[in-house]
Amino acid sequence: GDSWGIFTFLCAALCNLPALPALNCSEELGAGQSIQQTYDLTRYLEHQLRTLAGTYLNYLGPPFNEPDFNPPRLARAERVPSATVDLDLWRGLTDNARLAANYRAYSRLLCYLRVLDGQVGTAELRHRLAHFCASLQGLVLSIGGVMSSLGYPLPAGPAGPPAPPGTPAAPNDFLKKMDDFWLLKELQTWLWRSAKDFNRLKKKVPPAVVTLRLEARGF
Amino acid sequence: DIHMQYERVGADVTMKCGSMDWDAAVTWTANGTDIDESHLNGSYLILKNVDLSQSGQYSCYEGSSWHLKYQTYLRVGTPPKEPVLMCRSNNYPKGFYCSWHLPTPTYIPNSFNISVIHGTKDMVCEKDAVPKNRCHIRYLQLFSTVKYKVTLTVTNALGKNFTTLTFDEFAIVKPDPPESVVAKPVPNNPRRLEVSWQNPSSWPDPESFPLKFFLRYRPLILDQWQHVELSDGTSHTITDAYAGKEYIIQVAAKDNDIGTWSDWSVAVHATPWTEEPKHLTTEAQITETTSASTSSFMAPPTTKICDKGAVVGSGAMAVCWTAGLVVAAYSVLFI
Repeated sequence: GDSWGIFTFLCAALCNLPALPALNCSEELGAGQSIQQTYDLTRYLEHQLRTLAGTYLNYLGPPFNEPDFNPPRLARAERVPSATVDLDLWRGLTDNARLAANYRAYSRLLCYLRVLDGQVGTAELRHRLAHFCASLQGLVLSIGGVMSSLGYPLPAGPAGPPAPPGTPAAPNDFLKKMDDFWLLKELQTWLWRSAKDFNRLKKKVPPAVVTLRLEARGF
Repeated sequence: DIHMQYERVGADVTMKCGSMDWDAAVTWTANGTDIDESHLNGSYLILKNVDLSQSGQYSCYEGSSWHLKYQTYLRVGTPPKEPVLMCRSNNYPKGFYCSWHLPTPTYIPNSFNISVIHGTKDMVCEKDAVPKNRCHIRYLQLFSTVKYKVTLTVTNALGKNFTTLTFDEFAIVKPDPPESVVAKPVPNNPRRLEVSWQNPSSWPDPESFPLKFFLRYRPLILDQWQHVELSDGTSHTITDAYAGKEYIIQVAAKDNDIGTWSDWSVAVHATPWTEEPKHLTTEAQITETTSASTSSFMAPPTTKICDKGAVVGSGAMAVCWTAGLVVAAYSVLFI
């Protein structure tokens, strides 16, 4: 019925992230160190997600919590940009494009997770989700910080409707659970990918950037 | 006209002599040896509860003319048991390989068919020439959310069997062990060993997909390993080696973020640097050697101490170590 409209509204409301404050602290650290911190954050989140996903999938119940569960991807519009990418394309991404892809993906993922948070049944799940969302927000800000310190503009915010208006909402409980399953999958895959993205960025960010900033501070 | 037939171990086999009537007089041979009439039912050869040793060539000759009427090659075997399948990516992100084998032999020829499905797509696993029973696949996409499903079917004349593996791209990443592990003593450092190694050559892109390493070492005489995990670099200096003891050292590798540890590398042996024998003398001998040449000493005193009661056991070793420490301490005074 009108669930789609409510969904869009919720997402728009929850995703209105405040404009990033002047990131003086990350400028001082230099892009190199920020990249390392962002990398560390993705590893931490990946670890957190394992517990969260386990709990959530058990909450969804079988077959979602079965280890071999391998459903086909339904032909619904993908809500979140997928981490899946052609190998050569991935290698050839500019630093800006690489960072922007991560920024956009996590902004959207955060958005959807927050909606989830409002819907789940148990207090334990709500608590875990809230904690995870807070960490994920930290990641988005961290990526934004790296982009700013490298002089890249932040991608347009996720405040708009997250998917084309033509996408129908999940018509039944099972398909809704399926959507949740894929959301967690996509999140997990992005965290794996980000580790590799930030490894690459670590190598490519010129040391001169860090040195320059240290000199400016009178070292 | 030669025939071939496959039968299960333990089965009862009836062989007919071609188009000969049941009551015809015939002689059967197995690999050229006449078969006793007790195994015959008319002109049919009955083999009960066949075993592997009964594989061979069976021929049927007409009684009087000794005309060859029928010949068959019997092979006794078993239908295949569930095959063992393993898939692994030792060259991430290029792709992965799968290898398989049968847990028990069938004693007859088997054919293998492998299928790989990724979501809705069928992928082709290219068979390797060497080793056999192995095929490889190139990744078309990286960071996939959809699992890979590999099904291996084994078929032979007596039956078929299959097994399936389902996995995520990340789960099967396991590099080969590090290569060219070298361990060297450090001059003038009796407790150090310098270890260096190289990334496995099968790992295609260590820049974008860095490896981390796990080093383990122990003196040959002890059972317990010491471990060090190293997040970058391909060398490490051990600083707590027991002086004068031979060490065994191994290294393993893992992608920094995903997958599992490699097997241990080939083991290398090394002994930390020890001082020249001429320093390890008693006070009385020192005054002698200042004038005489050092080549008159055939063996360092430490060896002599350890040779006494030279049974390899913790008692003797304790004596050696104590002697070693005493001598080391003593020699420090003379440097």
